[in-house]
Amino acid sequence: MKVEFLEPQSLQDAVAMAKAKGVGARFVAGGTDLVIQMRKTGVLPEAIINLQRLRALGEIKHDADGFSLGALVTHRQIESEDRFLGGLQALRESACVIGGHQVRNVATLGGNLCNASPAADMVPILLCFNADVTLVGSSGSRNIPLAAFIEGPRKTQRAHDEVMTDIRFPKPAGKFASAFLKGGRRRAMEISIVAMAGVVSMSAGGTMTDVRLAMGAAGPKAIRLAQAEKFLEGKVPSKAVLEEAGKLAAAAASPIDDVRASASFRRHLVGVYARRVIELGWNRISEAGNDRSAA
Amino acid sequence: MTEVQLDLTVNGRRHRVSVPAHHSLLDVLRDELELTGTKTNCLEAECGVCTVVVDGKSVASCTMLAAQCQGREVVTIEGLQDGGDLHPLQEAFVEHGAVQCGYCIPGMIMTAKAFLDENPRPTREAVREAIAGTLCRCTGYQKIVDAIMAASQRLVQQGERP
Ligand SMILES: Cc1cc2nc3c(=O)[nH]c(=O)nc-3n(C[C@H](O)[C@H](O)[C@H](O)COP(=O)(O)OP(=O)(O)OC[C@H]3O[C@@H](n4cnc5c(N)ncnc54)[C@H](O)[C@@H]3O)c2cc1C
Ligand code: FES
Ligand code: FES
Repeated sequence: MKVEFLEPQSLQDAVAMAKAKGVGARFVAGGTDLVIQMRKTGVLPEAIINLQRLRALGEIKHDADGFSLGALVTHRQIESEDRFLGGLQALRESACVIGGHQVRNVATLGGNLCNASPAADMVPILLCFNADVTLVGSSGSRNIPLAAFIEGPRKTQRAHDEVMTDIRFPKPAGKFASAFLKGGRRRAMEISIVAMAGVVSMSAGGTMTDVRLAMGAAGPKAIRLAQAEKFLEGKVPSKAVLEEAGKLAAAAASPIDDVRASASFRRHLVGVYARRVIELGWNRISEAGNDRSAA
Repeated sequence: MTEVQLDLTVNGRRHRVSVPAHHSLLDVLRDELELTGTKTNCLEAECGVCTVVVDGKSVASCTMLAAQCQGREVVTIEGLQDGGDLHPLQEAFVEHGAVQCGYCIPGMIMTAKAFLDENPRPTREAVREAIAGTLCRCTGYQKIVDAIMAASQRLVQQGERP
């Protein structure tokens, strides 16, 4: 079977090509998921549409309201972005654990989200920041919350002719901190067996406020931990409070058994990592001057 | 139109090749251009033996489509030596005995090359992190890290970088 290779020079061309080729066409960005899938399944698309010439989708921008990351931004760009120090540092922490240098140099944020693996490491922190994704297709452009975009393992709301163009999120108000932790068997080059991201602000009274927690790899898709978040609101992270939050987080997990870890070990880790992420975020916010993300 | 016509620059030389759209850069380097210094193993970007440098960055050539390399600069292990003189990284690997079976070494050296170009004065810890995606099943990494540290000093001394 012959595979066609198409190189659109504009977004409009990319969409038009995808529409013309139909469901047999696949977009490629960094290729780190697509090339392996083609080889493993032996199923080849009729056409591969290369998005890499769409340079405009490779930028990280910000304005007064928040940030916009192009879908072609690489994990390398995110982990070395100076604007993601301070309050936004969990973005760097999430990106810098994805594969090795060779993967991060080419793999993109858009690919990570569109591939929709339950263990996609960029998803939890973007859920915490209430990110939206923009899709542009033959019937126009739409914004959807990331939480709704990913429906389940490898299932998204993206129509076959839609290109993800960017990922936006508002900057949380006031002084806040973020943290991301990933559990795997080794520190580097490991698919997460649990991924946990959190964002926390400090109220005038010195308690936690606007707490956001999200976990990945412990269910069919990454989710926000609403009950734990609600429980933590207005409290200080004492040992007992963290303990209880960990229990609420573990109760929300629906992990699987696989070669990497059993379901019960994953559930246990969810509790542990939820506690650690809150603690880490709280320590960070307690250190002065943690609102540099405004830069 | 069945295959993609490519104009590839590898180690400073331009090659015109015709490849199926789904073939990887690794396929083209080894099978079309017969540059077999770049090794092949997992084909899943897990082991790093196929690492080459594209536009100054290390990449796993097994998961990069050759067609996506049109107009980009590819450097493989064959392109490191300069008129018969080994690159300081290659010299350091020899001097430090950082090689056992040797299979991982081309990928290891190319990983280190791209890293040192961006980080001329790394710490040992940073070197270990940089080669996390390039596995060696023989050496235990100690001598590899020694060699990369030594090469970084030599490169700095040679004034190749400020
Ligand atoms: C060795 C290795 C280790 C890895 N480790 C991790 C890890 O620790 N954590 C993690 O989260 N991931 C990991 N990954 C997975 C992978 O690298 C990421 O998911 C990556 O971000 C995918 O991006 P890409 O640009 O390479 O995607 P591609 O392979 O190019 O594309 C992936 C899918 O998304 C579609 N697509 C891509 N971009 C767009 C777009 N803009 N619009 C519409 N559709 C699009 C493609 O059609 C394809 O279906 C690893 C991969 C490898 C090979
Ligand atoms: S063969 Fe490419 S990383 Fe293993
Ligand atoms: S020397 Fe044998 S794998 Fe590294």
